Amino acid sequence: MTRVRVTAPRAGARGGAALPVARSAADSREAAEESDAGQVFVRSLIRSQLRLGLVVAGGFLLILLGFRLMLGLVPGLAASKIAGLPFDWVLLGAGIYPVIGLGAWLYVRTAARNEARYRELAGDK
Amino acid sequence: MNPALGLAAFAAVSLATVVIGFYGLRISRTTGDFYVASRTVRPWWNASAIGGEYLSAASFLGVAGLVLLSGTDALWFPVGFTAGYLMLLLFVAAPLRRSGAYTIPDFTEARLESRAVRRVTSVVVVLVGWLYIVPQLHGAGLAIRTTTGLPAWVGQVAVVAVVCVTVVAGGMRSITFVQAFQYWLKLTALAVPLLFIFFVLAGTGAPAVADAAVNPTGAAPAGPYQSISLFVALLFGTLGLPHVLVRFYTNPDGQSARRTTLIVLGLLSVFYLFPTAYGLTGRMFAPGLARSGHADALVLLLPGRMIGGTAGDLLSALVVAGAFAAFLSTTSGLVVSLAGVISQDVLGGSVRGFRLAALVSAIVPLGFAFMTESMALAGTVGLVFAFTASAICPVLLLGIWWRGLTDAGAIAGMVTGGVLCGGAMVAGSLLGAAGTPSWLAQPAAWTVPAAFAVVILVSRATKSRVPRTITRLMTRLHSPERPLATER
Repeated sequence: MTRVRVTAPRAGARGGAALPVARSAADSREAAEESDAGQVFVRSLIRSQLRLGLVVAGGFLLILLGFRLMLGLVPGLAASKIAGLPFDWVLLGAGIYPVIGLGAWLYVRTAARNEARYRELAGDK
Repeated sequence: MNPALGLAAFAAVSLATVVIGFYGLRISRTTGDFYVASRTVRPWWNASAIGGEYLSAASFLGVAGLVLLSGTDALWFPVGFTAGYLMLLLFVAAPLRRSGAYTIPDFTEARLESRAVRRVTSVVVVLVGWLYIVPQLHGAGLAIRTTTGLPAWVGQVAVVAVVCVTVVAGGMRSITFVQAFQYWLKLTALAVPLLFIFFVLAGTGAPAVADAAVNPTGAAPAGPYQSISLFVALLFGTLGLPHVLVRFYTNPDGQSARRTTLIVLGLLSVFYLFPTAYGLTGRMFAPGLARSGHADALVLLLPGRMIGGTAGDLLSALVVAGAFAAFLSTTSGLVVSLAGVISQDVLGGSVRGFRLAALVSAIVPLGFAFMTESMALAGTVGLVFAFTASAICPVLLLGIWWRGLTDAGAIAGMVTGGVLCGGAMVAGSLLGAAGTPSWLAQPAAWTVPAAFAVVILVSRATKSRVPRTITRLMTRLHSPERPLATER
């Protein structure tokens, strides 16, 4: 891992509002990305990442809602015991975390895959 | 418990914090080191540090207290605190890292090319930070009073003093190590006493004195509106917390920002099992603590209550150490990020300016803490989340994902969200807990959509103000960095 020299805040403070990550080697690549053809790929990458985020977030909220409805609608379920602990506590106090973790893991994997595909399309090796 | 042990625990944590802070001092030299540890922090360290910084007084003391008071209704807090990080991962982590900005005002200024937006964002960020430090100090006061009998201000002043020393001495490089250490300390401090309590309970076979489903104070369960509004606040509030966001700049690239967040989610999930378990144990075996108004001190009192003797005293001391780790880590994280904002905007961004700004950022909330009374810790922090969710989150999310955002829309949205939610908070504190209707007590469900709507409508009305460089900006936020090997 290389050590990157960072000089950002002062550049911004002097009036230029450029994002501070600009590096000279990036110039030609940026030109290619800002061409009309390059932008098609960029826009499609942004759309797929946003869609992916919304799907994972929506899925998580649906599962959470499902947990709540299940506890509310199935009589006696909330009060039943698992290893001596009330079921509603086990489900909402512990069972929801693996769902969050799984969603996050799937997201990280798929987002990286989207980016790899973008790299291929944009001819970036 | 034994007051001397409580003091010794606090002294030991403070000493460890300062020593690790000074160890870090030797390797932090440049301004870059001072602000963001030169972005060379490894994901595991960084994730532990994020966890250490995020788990505040509300998580360490407040969650267990609220679970004791209101049972499964209070489980929205730990789940929401964790799910907020999921939202951060899904919508913010990688693009924010790729923006290359140091602070939220850096980001909004760069995204919208407007100094005015920067100034408004800075004001909101500083406000959020101060609001968030106050409950940490209340927690410190509560812990000192409960465990040693000293007046609350002693704990508050001590926390601010230790934070000032570490931050002024080392900046964020040493803060990273301090925070990472404090995550593991907090986890140990909750886990070990709880295991002992379980052994004792299993050994004696003592029956539960109360049903877990019954609220010990007889409080009515929360309605669906309150639960949903709280969950909205926690989901979206995490996105705008300045001390959380500043941590993402210490990742080398967008993908590692995602990996770090994934590890953080795991660390938080493990951690929150414990406050929940404390709350449940308290409901079943010590419901009297809720009736005597000591709910927030449950975590501190339970080991002594359930075990007693020298073992109980030692375990209580461990919990006190963990609690002070929570106050110190969150406060220092907030002070670092506030100092970053204040020093860049007001003091020119030098190391000396950063140190001065750090002092200001720590001492002002100390004044607030002196003037205000401590309420339920998790509830107060929930309101701060509602404020960030209303004031910062809409601009941040739309700035990352919507090309149509304009500077006018961003300012209008931040002001609307801040005024609506801040107004609800002020009205709620004037009316008192009993007289506040639930739509004022939990404002996020309407203030967040209102802020989003204002940002979008005003941006639409001022379409001509969309920055001309929007194509380049969006490309940089969302396209992956080149692999390092191809860099010349």
